[in-house]
Amino acid sequence: MGLSQNDVSFLRPEVKLLRFVTVRTKVCQIDLTSSGKMLDIFKSIPTHMDYKGQKLAEQIFQGIILISAVIGFVYGLIIEQFGWTVYIVLAGFAISCVLTLPPWPMYRKNPLSWQPVLPETSGESSQKPQESLKKKKHK
Amino acid sequence: MNTVLSRANSLFAFSLSVMAALTFGCFITTAFKDRRVPVDIHVSKVMLKNVDDFTGPRERSDLGFITFDLSADLQPIFDWNVKQLFLYLSAEYATKSNSLNQVVLWDKIVLRGENTKLNLRDMKSKYFFFDDGNGLRANKNITLTLSWNVVPNAGVLPLVAGSGHVSLPFPDTYETTKSY
Repeated sequence: MGLSQNDVSFLRPEVKLLRFVTVRTKVCQIDLTSSGKMLDIFKSIPTHMDYKGQKLAEQIFQGIILISAVIGFVYGLIIEQFGWTVYIVLAGFAISCVLTLPPWPMYRKNPLSWQPVLPETSGESSQKPQESLKKKKHK
Repeated sequence: MNTVLSRANSLFAFSLSVMAALTFGCFITTAFKDRRVPVDIHVSKVMLKNVDDFTGPRERSDLGFITFDLSADLQPIFDWNVKQLFLYLSAEYATKSNSLNQVVLWDKIVLRGENTKLNLRDMKSKYFFFDDGNGLRANKNITLTLSWNVVPNAGVLPLVAGSGHVSLPFPDTYETTKSY
């Protein structure tokens, strides 16, 4: 079972709607070149990562914060000041922010392969009987 | 984790949990430490007066004036979990009307980073040494003890008594200075 078989019944409703996202971004690109306003640029910066990228980002920030916590605890214990422990953990937090908040290319290496967009009239009528067929099969 | 805000939320919550665990670790490393140090107290002069005390029910009460010397090294108490020490000198005695009296005569706050070696000479008491009645005159045994409250960064606040104390009798008459 995969996306290429046009079966989206297992996805959450909001993810199902993402099928139309390719159309939306093309329209936005046209807008940028013509108007060039700052607010449009901010709104249209894509911040998504694919699923493997999200898992990688979570592992990266958990690892960085845990390592900085261990280093900070040991350093604070040695020099007898708890303030340094807090500073080192805050530094780890800042590094993880830089590494995981923006959508770097390494988090987009496994994109989902969406089905190509079909024209509305023939696509919807052919999708509906197929979806109802698939539902009967699953039951 | 698909948007920046949801990643930021997850990252921040994880950092706070880790910080809470580190604070607990800081508390655990110093929770069972013995915070007593030897203290040397010496009283040089005691004077007694009998004055009107408007805070009590009777007309005149005993008022004591003590001049003392104090020396202690508080350095072993300070570690990474101690923010400050609250020291206080208290006098403890028994009278005919009350079996136990405790009066705080003097206190001091010692912050971390300040000079931890106490070497005070000829200190006067900060607070009035009033008695509940006339029990200070010719009292055989008044004990002065230096205690402290350890204020930590994380955890409990232990109340520790120093290991040195001094007991002394008070003079028999008023308005006379007794030197030791």
